[in-house]
Amino acid sequence: MTTQDAAPPATGSDPTRAADHGIVVRGVTRAFGTVQALAGVDIDAPPGAVTALVGPNGSGKTTLLLVLAGLLTPDGGEVRVAGHDPVTEGPAARARTGWMPDAFGTWDSLTAREVLTTFADAYRLDRGVSRRRVDELLATVHLAEYADRPASVLSRGQKQRLGLARALVHDPQVLLLDEPASGLDPRSRVDLRLLLRRLADDGRAVLVSSHVLTELEEMCDDAVFLSRGRTVVPDAAPGARADGRRTFHVRALSLPALVAWLDAAGAAWRPDEPWTTPPTSAGGVLVDVAGDEGAAALIRDAVAAGVPLTSVAPAVGALERAYLTLEEDRR
Amino acid sequence: MTTTVELDEQQPAAPAAAPTTAGHWRVTWHGVRTVAALELRQRVRSTRWIVALVVWFVVVGGLTLLISGALSAVNDGDRDLQGALLFAAVSFLVLGLGLLVTPTLASTSVNGDRAAGTLATLQVTLLTPAEIALGKVLAAWTAACAFLAASVPFLVFAAVVGPTPWWSVVRVVLLVAVLLAGVCGVGLGFSALVARPAGSTVLTFVTVAALVLGTPLLFGVTYPSQEQRTTVQVYVQRTDGDGNPTECVPTTQQRSVAHTERTWWLLAANPFVVLADGAGTSGSVHEAEERNDPLGMLRGAVRTARTGASAPLNECWDSGAGLVEPTSNGPVWPWGLGVNLLLGVGGFVVAVRRLSLPQRALPRGTRVA
Repeated sequence: MTTQDAAPPATGSDPTRAADHGIVVRGVTRAFGTVQALAGVDIDAPPGAVTALVGPNGSGKTTLLLVLAGLLTPDGGEVRVAGHDPVTEGPAARARTGWMPDAFGTWDSLTAREVLTTFADAYRLDRGVSRRRVDELLATVHLAEYADRPASVLSRGQKQRLGLARALVHDPQVLLLDEPASGLDPRSRVDLRLLLRRLADDGRAVLVSSHVLTELEEMCDDAVFLSRGRTVVPDAAPGARADGRRTFHVRALSLPALVAWLDAAGAAWRPDEPWTTPPTSAGGVLVDVAGDEGAAALIRDAVAAGVPLTSVAPAVGALERAYLTLEEDRR
Repeated sequence: MTTTVELDEQQPAAPAAAPTTAGHWRVTWHGVRTVAALELRQRVRSTRWIVALVVWFVVVGGLTLLISGALSAVNDGDRDLQGALLFAAVSFLVLGLGLLVTPTLASTSVNGDRAAGTLATLQVTLLTPAEIALGKVLAAWTAACAFLAASVPFLVFAAVVGPTPWWSVVRVVLLVAVLLAGVCGVGLGFSALVARPAGSTVLTFVTVAALVLGTPLLFGVTYPSQEQRTTVQVYVQRTDGDGNPTECVPTTQQRSVAHTERTWWLLAANPFVVLADGAGTSGSVHEAEERNDPLGMLRGAVRTARTGASAPLNECWDSGAGLVEPTSNGPVWPWGLGVNLLLGVGGFVVAVRRLSLPQRALPRGTRVA
């Protein structure tokens, strides 16, 4: 699903809230020479929600985040970050934005604590406040025991966590994370997911770009797809819909039997993966049902009809499927 | 996550098409100190800093002693003759080595950070571009001054040996410090302008070489073109019948003279000329010649060049009765120092403009982050 049709129920899709505290992007374009990196992007990332930014390499994700972070001037279009235009009100927007780039360096000779303290100073935080805040953040990203070691001894994942803490040092209203999960071990990924969830629940707008789509799917409320610098609505739009219907992945020993029964019952289905030849043996389809009750009814009816079901589960990899429909746009 | 950040609420700017640039130049000591402390910490810990200082100390000290030894052998122990020459040699040595070391301190500060991926994260904070640029210059200049401080003992030693007044030591140290600040500014400018650290370092060295070697070369090359035959005043020596000098008298003669009053500024921009003229080691050219003081003689030569063709020629070889001091249009060093500082300020301005957000154009071949 894209941002236009549904925002999470917790926040509602109140456009003024998104404009004042979240991210609103309208028709943003940006070219580097002859390369049109952004060719018309529309995004609403409301506060209180984690919004995923998904797209192939070179689709303009990083460029968009640079525009949102106030580093690049867009050629056209309108951008509002926490109610401020990053171009005309740069300092006000940047004060409310935490940005974590995909490839960033650290000052190798500085300790983790010094890096965070420096950034607290750079955001003009009061010294007393910043000391407490730095300790708090080091604990949050589980780097407390590395606090006084030089950043050069940190592993890639630890540096990544330090980068996240750095982006959070001034308690930003809007978080822009470019590939935050890359280099993280499974434990840290879970921590990251929980942390982002908590940050969003505190009322922040979180925009995450990542290639780890299953990760994204578990933590995001919403997804925006970028392809060739445009926001696109993929054919296989993932996620829960406003009407409460949910996609389930249904597998059976005999796919023809399953399909025949679904057709007979008048239920809409679609293949779980692109079929090259008509199915003859075991396989699965995706079916939209009315929540868990619908799923229970489907299982009961299918079993009663003698369909050899093997599994019925909420569809995962919906983001991935949607992503794969953009695959041909890779460049 | 309960702390709140005190932010200066900006007035909602009028929906101007262009970003406001006034805020880019705002500077607070807090911001400059934050950047400078970051740079110095990173630099001091990541390089063999103490080793470099010790090597510097040993090199300057060793050369000072070698020069001192050579001079005492030549001059047979005349301390006045040694002293002025030694002070000039050590002053030029310190300035020369400083000009060699300083370009490397500042010329990678922006593009090096960009290559390391640390610049953009700093730019998105509330530090203004001017604070980042000033902090970087300050850090580079502090490092350069550390080298300068390590050479002060030898300047003092050279001054103690001979007739050099103590204020000359102070003036040399201050002049070198300011000249190196100019080089730091130039290095910063190039590092903001050029994508690759190696490129900006080379350009900074080229600029320094142009100032040190290029200016006298250009002065020399243009010298013949400035030559004209005109009527000038020449002081000539009168002698008595035995060939003993009696007096110095002005005469008017047709001479070929160079109008160096048109090109003297080329010499003035040279850092070594600035140092020689500003050091004030000798009160007059005459005194400088007596003391064998190269700094004083260079000062006299440059000031004469500035006066140019209108200066009377002094051809009295005897410095006895009726000596004529060359007329002078005043000191040359403020002009030269101004040129060097202006170059530094120019580099600083370029850096601030290049560090300003958001960026419209990127240096070729670079990514923002």
